[in-house]
Amino acid sequence: MDRSYETIIIGGGVVGSSIAYHLSEQTKEAVLVLDQKFPLSGTSGSTQAWVWVHNKTPSWYAEFSMYSAELYSYLSKKIGDVEFKRTGGLSPFFNEADREKAVRLAEAYEQIGIKIKVLSREEALEKEPFLNPDVVGATYSAIDGNVNPFRLVDRYMRAAKKNGVQYSTYNKVTEIQKMPGKFIVVSEKGEFSCKNLILAGGTWSRELGKLVDVNIPINQLRGQILVTEPLKPFLNYTISGLRQAFNGEVLIGYSMEQEGFNRATTLDVIQETANMAVHYVPSLKKAKVVRAFSGIRAMPEDGFPILGKIPGVENLYVAATHSGVTLSPLIGTLMTELILEGETSIPIDRYSISRFAK
Amino acid sequence: MDKSTIICRCEEISYEEIEEVLTNGATTFDDIKRLTRCGMGPCQSKICHSLVASMIHEKTNTPYFQIPLPRMRMPLSPIKLETLATNSTSFSSVKSVMDEVELEDGKVR
Repeated sequence: MDRSYETIIIGGGVVGSSIAYHLSEQTKEAVLVLDQKFPLSGTSGSTQAWVWVHNKTPSWYAEFSMYSAELYSYLSKKIGDVEFKRTGGLSPFFNEADREKAVRLAEAYEQIGIKIKVLSREEALEKEPFLNPDVVGATYSAIDGNVNPFRLVDRYMRAAKKNGVQYSTYNKVTEIQKMPGKFIVVSEKGEFSCKNLILAGGTWSRELGKLVDVNIPINQLRGQILVTEPLKPFLNYTISGLRQAFNGEVLIGYSMEQEGFNRATTLDVIQETANMAVHYVPSLKKAKVVRAFSGIRAMPEDGFPILGKIPGVENLYVAATHSGVTLSPLIGTLMTELILEGETSIPIDRYSISRFAK
Repeated sequence: MDKSTIICRCEEISYEEIEEVLTNGATTFDDIKRLTRCGMGPCQSKICHSLVASMIHEKTNTPYFQIPLPRMRMPLSPIKLETLATNSTSFSSVKSVMDEVELEDGKVR
C-alpha cells in the first residue's frame, strides 16, 4: 500500500465515503479513507435512513437539507441502486395544538420553496389508510423519502474504489502530526502522509479533534429501532417514526437518549417504541418484531452540521453532522468543491467550526 | 459448498455473494451481514453463522477463535408487537417530530 496521498479522509461512514466518492469523480490525485472498524459498523449502519427535510428547523437548515435531498435521484443514477424512494413524508399529529404549529411551518417554508401541506384527518387517512383513525391531522411534503443505508454506503465505497480511492479498514488513527505542507497520520497499520486531511469521524469527532488540538463539539445520542418481519406493502409514505422498506420490513423508532457510546437496546425503550407503533398504525400490533437495534447519532452541540476548513491549520477540514444520510450527497459535493477550488457553490460559512470558538 | 450454495436460508444469500464481499474487505460476520443481509432474517444467523465462519476462515486465514460471533439482537425469537406494547400513550424517550418544531413569537424559528 502506498504511504503518500493527496488527501486522507478519517472515517468511512456515509459522510466520509460520500466525500471520497465525490472527490474521486473530480480528481485523479490519490485519496485514502481510514476507518477504525469497517464502514457501516457505526452510525451509518444503524439508522432508519430517512431522507428528511420538511420539518427541520430553522428554515435555512431545511433549505440546506432540501438541496441534498434533491441530489439523490441523480446520485442513484451515478452510483447505482441505493433503494432511494421519494415517498413523500408524513408527520401525523394527535392534538389540535399541533395544527397551529403545522400551519405556521407551512407558511414559513413556502417562502423558501418547500411545499408543506397541512392535512385534515380525512386527508391524512386517505393518503395513509392504515393510520390510527384518532389522528387529528398531519403535515405532508413530497420532498421526503428514504434510502437503504447499507446499499448507500456500499455504493459510495464501490464507486470511490473504482475511481482509485483506497480504503484501509480496521485501522484506527492514533496520532496526527502537522508538518510544513503535510500531515503525518499514524495508524495501527503504520504511517501515512497527506496534503489535505479531512476529519469525518461522526460520533468520534471529538476524540479525533483531540489529536489535532481542535475542539469538535459532537455528542452522542442513542436511538433504538424495531424491525418487523416482512409485510406486504401497506404504508405509502415515510412517516416520521416509521417506514416500510423495499423488502416489506417496517422500521420503527424515534427515541433519543444520552448514553454515550453504549449501544445496548433496553426493554423500556423497546416497549415505548412498540407503543408508538400501535398508536400510529394500530394494525401493526399483529406484526412480529424480528429484532431491535440501537445506533448512536452524532449530535453537534447546537444540532447543526460542522463543515469546512479548520481555521488556523492549513489544509485541515472537518465534516461532522447529524442527519448524515440526508445530507451526504450535498456534503460530499461541497467538501469536494472546497478542497479543489477553495470555495463552495452553496455558502457553508454558517456551518463553520469557528462558531464554537466564543 | 459451491458458488450457488445458499448459506443464509432466511434471506437466500449464496456462497458467491458472501465470497464477493469478503474479497471486498469485509472480515467479520457483522460486516458481511450489513453488506449482504446474510443473517438478518428471522433466525438471526442461528443457521448460517458457522458456515459463514468457515468461509471467513478459508478466505482470510483468520483462526476460528479470532472470528467474532454475530451480534444477537433482542428479541432473540420473533414476537408480536402487541406482546411488547403496554398500550400507554405517554412517551419519554420516544419523541414526535412535531414536538421538535418550536415556535418563537408565534413563528417557526
